[in-house]
Amino acid sequence: MIRRGNALKRTAGVVMALGLVATACSSSSDGDADANTGDSVAVEAPVDTEVVESTQSEGGTLAAVQAAGTLECGGNDTLPGFGIIDSDGAFSGFDIDFCKVIAAAVLGDSEAINVTPLVAAQRFPTLQSGEIDVLIRNTTWTASRDGAEQANFLRTTFYDGQGFMVRSDSGIASLEDAANTTICVLQGTTTLLNLNAVLGDRGIPFTPLEFESNDELQPAFVAEQCEVWTSDASQLASFAATLDIDTTVLPDIISKEPLGPVVADGDTEWAQVVNWAVMAAIQAEEFGITSANIDSFADSEDSGIRRFLGLPIEDDDGNSVVAEVGLGLPTDFATNIISQVGNYGEIFERNLAPLGLERGPNALWTEGGLMYVPPFR
Amino acid sequence: MLERLLRLILILAILAGIYIAVWSARRSAKGSAGGPPPWRDTKVLIIAAQVAALGVILSVGDYLWANFRARTDEIGLELNFDFLDQPSGISIADSPLDPNSSIQNALIAGVKNTFLIFIVGIPLAVLLGTLIGIARLSTNWLLTKIATVYVEFFRNIPTLLVIVFTWQALLLGFPREQDSWLIRGSSTAADSGPPSLEGLFIFNNKRFAFPSIGGGENFGAFQVVFLVAVVAAVAMWVWRTRNFDATGTPHRRVLWSFATLLVISVIGYFVLGGPFSISRPMIEQRIASGGVKMQMPYVAVMFGLVLYTASHIAEIVRGSIMSVPKGQVEAGNALALSGFQRYRFVVLPQAFRVAFPPLINQFLNYTKNTSLAIAVGFAETTGVIQNLFGQSRPAPQLLLILMLIYLAFSLILSAIGNLINRRLQIVGR
Repeated sequence: MIRRGNALKRTAGVVMALGLVATACSSSSDGDADANTGDSVAVEAPVDTEVVESTQSEGGTLAAVQAAGTLECGGNDTLPGFGIIDSDGAFSGFDIDFCKVIAAAVLGDSEAINVTPLVAAQRFPTLQSGEIDVLIRNTTWTASRDGAEQANFLRTTFYDGQGFMVRSDSGIASLEDAANTTICVLQGTTTLLNLNAVLGDRGIPFTPLEFESNDELQPAFVAEQCEVWTSDASQLASFAATLDIDTTVLPDIISKEPLGPVVADGDTEWAQVVNWAVMAAIQAEEFGITSANIDSFADSEDSGIRRFLGLPIEDDDGNSVVAEVGLGLPTDFATNIISQVGNYGEIFERNLAPLGLERGPNALWTEGGLMYVPPFR
Repeated sequence: MLERLLRLILILAILAGIYIAVWSARRSAKGSAGGPPPWRDTKVLIIAAQVAALGVILSVGDYLWANFRARTDEIGLELNFDFLDQPSGISIADSPLDPNSSIQNALIAGVKNTFLIFIVGIPLAVLLGTLIGIARLSTNWLLTKIATVYVEFFRNIPTLLVIVFTWQALLLGFPREQDSWLIRGSSTAADSGPPSLEGLFIFNNKRFAFPSIGGGENFGAFQVVFLVAVVAAVAMWVWRTRNFDATGTPHRRVLWSFATLLVISVIGYFVLGGPFSISRPMIEQRIASGGVKMQMPYVAVMFGLVLYTASHIAEIVRGSIMSVPKGQVEAGNALALSGFQRYRFVVLPQAFRVAFPPLINQFLNYTKNTSLAIAVGFAETTGVIQNLFGQSRPAPQLLLILMLIYLAFSLILSAIGNLINRRLQIVGR
């Protein structure tokens, strides 16, 4: 009898514990539902909120980012010039600055970003899962990625091409000389696909050596485990500037690599916001507005500039109106971008010019480059 | 979401109701009217607790699945496996894989590389681990200390670190290809480009190359002769053993069997006019040919895993040897067995029985740890999958495939292990 009593107690205990778990479950989902309908409920688990919101697809990413007050970016942490962690632990670089551009436009604060460093292969799964709001990690826009990755590629921020780097004393002067060499390349990149396709087509045999990160690729190249390092030409330039050995970039550029921000499919509003934030930085350069001189445009007579900066425009009756473009962004989003981060040219000069990169195709269309954006009206 | 949960709870409540109704009906059919009511009956409550537990597990699973499906619907991810027939765009070092062949083929090439790490590494790990395990029990002070330091060092640092460390050591410790270390070889300078290298063994930071057997004329016939020699050697082994059992004359079966194998093979070699030769590895204008070649990343991950796993195996070996009762060793001494004989015939057979199940565990760990090869650039299964992630392929399906591949590896391994383990157990009388 005593035994039986114990068993009963144990069972009752288990039942109670399970009951508690069950209540906890249901109450937490209640809370989520509330948070989603907009009630001010203290949200303990932000992940859950995001989960539920995505299941009901109300509000969208823009509302979620504004509610959270932080923009979640996927970035690089091992590529000088584009995305790297500097000596005091902060992310910096060209791609990181564009993350700041978006944060300045959406939240009015360019520092309200949280960068998640990703290796190449993690990029798309992370974007698919909704962990990051935008991916800005030197990611190449291709048809199959746009089509099959459930990713939505936006305005290109940097036009690049795939190049090859060798040691200057290697005696390799062209891609043909590189036959039978070992070629170092990063896993999960378009670089790898181009390498296989182009060298395959040209009948140049090679041994691929794939690494997950530049942290391992670089010592392998320095120790001559591979004779050739292939990547986007801009990346090669940025590494050449940091290596102790003499290197040469071969004249062969084998691909087009348009790099830009990426968002998950299915949220047009958010895609437009990101797109126009990026384009505002480019437009600012075209207008000649920089972070230094933006104050002098406050009484500009140019209605195009006034509209762009969200300054009031007076009509004939003396009423002043602020132009609203209807993107869901504050009217002064371009002002925030320029004053907090700078225009496209400034971002380029700050991050990429020190590595010896020229504007090239990334110059404004007015100067013969490809940077051309639709009008802001 | 809440609605789904409520629906599930309702279904469970109905099930519980039906159960109680059936239970009461059966009890009244038996005619035993006494006993507590169902809500106070232990038997009923135990079942009810299990139903409730199942309900919680199901609703959590249901919640997660619904969440997953909502996200995949939102971004338009299709959950099918059609992409497996698409070209992979992947090429793998020292593999004939064509980048234009399908993703399936790329996965198979990856699995093959995983298997290569496994099949070469496991025997090495067992050998090294056994030696170190025995060394730890040695009476030689220095040997014991060295073995102890080895075990404590490798057992207590992360596997990934061991692999990356091994890789770095090989990368920096071995020369560039053009300055390869050659054993019984020579190097000829070329007019332009790197020199031509040739040798019995070639070591550099790209690959290790060993000599192999290269078939010539009549090689097929020689293989038949060799097979005959193996059969004859086994027959010799059996005959010597039986002879020993029957008459007690020393069997010397190892000696006899190898002699048989050697004699028949050598006769066959000369009769067939030298059907094979040693294929020496060479590197000409960066093209490696002949011999057996191992890429450096492969050596790094395999060797790193061997070093790591051996430290665990050494502890298993030591523990299992110590588990053999002291009386057994003393009995061996009493029979005037030598140290080697005592180990070979008394201690090790008993220790092996104890060591086997944890050994299989280490093999399983080893298999799973092969996925760390991506860190040093060896393209095995995980590396191939990672590559596919980065291209245009759906992650959920790929992760599922990846999990199933490792699961299959592990389950097959443990099935074989269990089979052997059953044979090893002492048959109860």
